[in-house]
Amino acid sequence: MGIFRKKYKWGVIYAILLIAFTAYVILDTFVIARVYAKVSSEENIGMQNASESTLSTNPVKELILQATPEETADQNNTIPFTDSAVITDNSYSDRDIRITVTKYREYDTTIYVADVRILSAEYLQTAFARGEFGRNITEKTSTIAEANNAILAINGDYYGAQTKGYVLKNGVLYRESASGNKEDLVIWADGSFEIITEGEVTAQTLAEDGALQVLSFGPALIMDGAIVVSENEEVGKAKASNPRTAIGIIDELHYLFVVSDGRTSTSEGLSLYQLAEFMQGLGADVAYNLDGGGSSTMIFNGEVINNPTTNGNSIKERSVSDIVYIGY
Amino acid sequence: MTLFISDIEPGKRNMRKISLFYLLNAIFCALFGIIYEQFSHGVYSGYMIFAFAFPLVGGTFPFAVLSLFAHGLLPGRLPRFLYNAGIAALTVGSMMKGVLEIYGTTNDLLKIYRFAGFGFVGIGLIIYAAELLSARKSHHEKNDSNENQP
Repeated sequence: MGIFRKKYKWGVIYAILLIAFTAYVILDTFVIARVYAKVSSEENIGMQNASESTLSTNPVKELILQATPEETADQNNTIPFTDSAVITDNSYSDRDIRITVTKYREYDTTIYVADVRILSAEYLQTAFARGEFGRNITEKTSTIAEANNAILAINGDYYGAQTKGYVLKNGVLYRESASGNKEDLVIWADGSFEIITEGEVTAQTLAEDGALQVLSFGPALIMDGAIVVSENEEVGKAKASNPRTAIGIIDELHYLFVVSDGRTSTSEGLSLYQLAEFMQGLGADVAYNLDGGGSSTMIFNGEVINNPTTNGNSIKERSVSDIVYIGY
Repeated sequence: MTLFISDIEPGKRNMRKISLFYLLNAIFCALFGIIYEQFSHGVYSGYMIFAFAFPLVGGTFPFAVLSLFAHGLLPGRLPRFLYNAGIAALTVGSMMKGVLEIYGTTNDLLKIYRFAGFGFVGIGLIIYAAELLSARKSHHEKNDSNENQP
């Protein structure tokens, strides 16, 4: 064949090498799993104590109440902490945890909000896919939630998609390489939230100071009750509305888990500013954006609450690296 | 070095063919970038959108200039191969960076495209410059010897 004539030999060899290297980069980025650390069994002891009876398989999605922010706040305030777990279609309550899930319709978008009150910050946890820290180790949010007996779960910061950025989960530091000036959310042992910049404080310092969780995605949406994201600011240079996941704190041990649908004809999705505005309306003092798009998923009592989609056509969960959840 | 010069001196027609080849590559990259962005849910990457600039600015234009205006020596096979290899690495690297950026991830291996790309382009240009100097020197020596003949 002419293409293998001596004249083209080196060109053909170089093209093959370039294609092979590119294929390897794609595999290394998206397929080849590398485990760097396993979560010790001691860290899971608390999780194993959760009773399986607390999980239900109710078709929650269609039954969640639609409400205004004010109605939700009133509703969650009226639900008492109870000695034994009381589970309804849109709420969970026991002696330490109280959760109300509400569906909103704002900005032509369906938004799911879990209003969470807990008696100790230890119930606000994170978990890795397969219980392993590494690259390309992923599972669906629902699978990770089930493995950890989560009552409520949302997708986390998808640390596995990045090679840098702090990874500190449940008090254990896994990765301490800073990712430029990325804003992180630190959850301290007392359950309080703080936004930090990776370049300004080391992960080691955060671990030594008692950080329970560090979420590295961003940006910060609200600080001290004020919106800190601009109308044009977006993740990954996106200018479109998208499915979103965010977490916020209203006051002591009182949190908001927020997930919005997007990319479909029935739910447009939110810009970061809209998300911030919405959470401010719910009374968030600090709010932080987590991995969104096809990753955005909320699980409540074992059921997927929202309509996760990557392409807008099919509704299915994307596998992610980690979750944030409420559980024992 | 003289070996490259005397062995293979591509003509201006060849430069035009290379320029056209790069133009087709640039058009392909531009179309690929436009189509990819259509399916990226509003997430854009400059590396994907402007990947066509490498074959256009680094290939089409310089080889078009050589085909139209070069009076002296045209680049030989080795510097051309290295230069083309460099532009190819930079173009593919740019598109890969775009793909990963749009997905929201990174990979340290992307640096290799940059190092290989600029490295090959640089070496190719140095060899071409050496060819030009060598040719000029030979030309002067030939003139000197002609002038010295009785």
